[in-house]
Amino acid sequence: MATQENGRTATVKVQRFNPDTDEKPRLESFEVPLTSGKTLLDALLEIKTMQDGTLTFRKSCRHAICGSCAMNVNGRNMLACKTPLSNALDHHGAVTVRPLPYLPIIKDLVVDRTTFWEQYLRVKPWLIPPDDVPEKEFRMSPQEVEALHHAETCIMCGACYSACQVVGMNKKYIGPHALLKAFLRVLDPRDSIPGERLKDLSGTDGVYRCHTIFNCIDACPKGLNPTQAIETLRKLAQKRAAYEAQRAERQRTLADPVVSD
Amino acid sequence: MYTSSGFISFLLRRVTGVALVLYLFTHMWVIGSANSGPEVFDARLNLFQQPLFKLAELGLLAAVLYHAFDGIRLLLVHYFDMTEYRRSLFWAVIVVSGILLIAGGVPIILFMLEGTGG
Repeated sequence: MATQENGRTATVKVQRFNPDTDEKPRLESFEVPLTSGKTLLDALLEIKTMQDGTLTFRKSCRHAICGSCAMNVNGRNMLACKTPLSNALDHHGAVTVRPLPYLPIIKDLVVDRTTFWEQYLRVKPWLIPPDDVPEKEFRMSPQEVEALHHAETCIMCGACYSACQVVGMNKKYIGPHALLKAFLRVLDPRDSIPGERLKDLSGTDGVYRCHTIFNCIDACPKGLNPTQAIETLRKLAQKRAAYEAQRAERQRTLADPVVSD
Repeated sequence: MYTSSGFISFLLRRVTGVALVLYLFTHMWVIGSANSGPEVFDARLNLFQQPLFKLAELGLLAAVLYHAFDGIRLLLVHYFDMTEYRRSLFWAVIVVSGILLIAGGVPIILFMLEGTGG
């Protein structure tokens, strides 16, 4: 079955689930031509347009920046648009696509991300600037900007959130995505409430709930490291008052030119 | 289910942790009976002199070793920014625990065979 007259084909096994008609999810196989440069998302789109129009999944930008097409491919969370079909195939020429785990399935590969966004909003992911905003610009040192690079390229795809077993067991847990975003704000010298943030993050559902399983790092399609962000937040939470004072001091000089060492 | 080395280590940590707590209670139940006199103590100790429990001692050793080295692994991750080495650290724990389990397990097995065969 793995070959076709005009070239090779790939078997795409997709988990299907229609809440109106199905009692439980089932796997359905589709054959698609294997052409060079075809991504898994291309294959899914091809199935939807040529074979079965009822196949349901999320997608938008097709170049790994919108985060819509995160799904579970061969047991690993990844972006379908960033995954070449040929790389995802096993030695039988097949790939298994399932929805993101630990989240309620709405239909086929579409999951309910309500808790994901609720937890995201819970950490106040926006910047809260100081009262005295400089007339021209904030001046941050290269080191300060470098620290933020570890978090700011997150695309909110949910791959880390749904790979986390703690999330699987406890939906009250803030989750790696929101903790990474909180890390971004806590480390940002322009943010004026790091103490309040750290206090919220060190509660029962916060940084200490993480069991250091590392799935978030492995799942992240952008190569980010939520576990390290959580470890950093843990350390900062232990010296919250000192960190708060340090930030207040830093904000007094935020408008000044950066003095290099 | 999202399986990975991190998940396996988490699972083993939980299972060995619970097992060690259960062992501790059993241990206290036996040792604590020394207060009630030698007869009671000997009776309770004899319960655990069967070959099955000798074998369980191997499991106890494995649980202690894994749980201890996994704890050290986590401390390294917490305090020395070692998330990049997560897989190496996991396998290091397995290998070190395995070697020590063999080193400690062989005498236990030899002692067990001597005890029952002799």
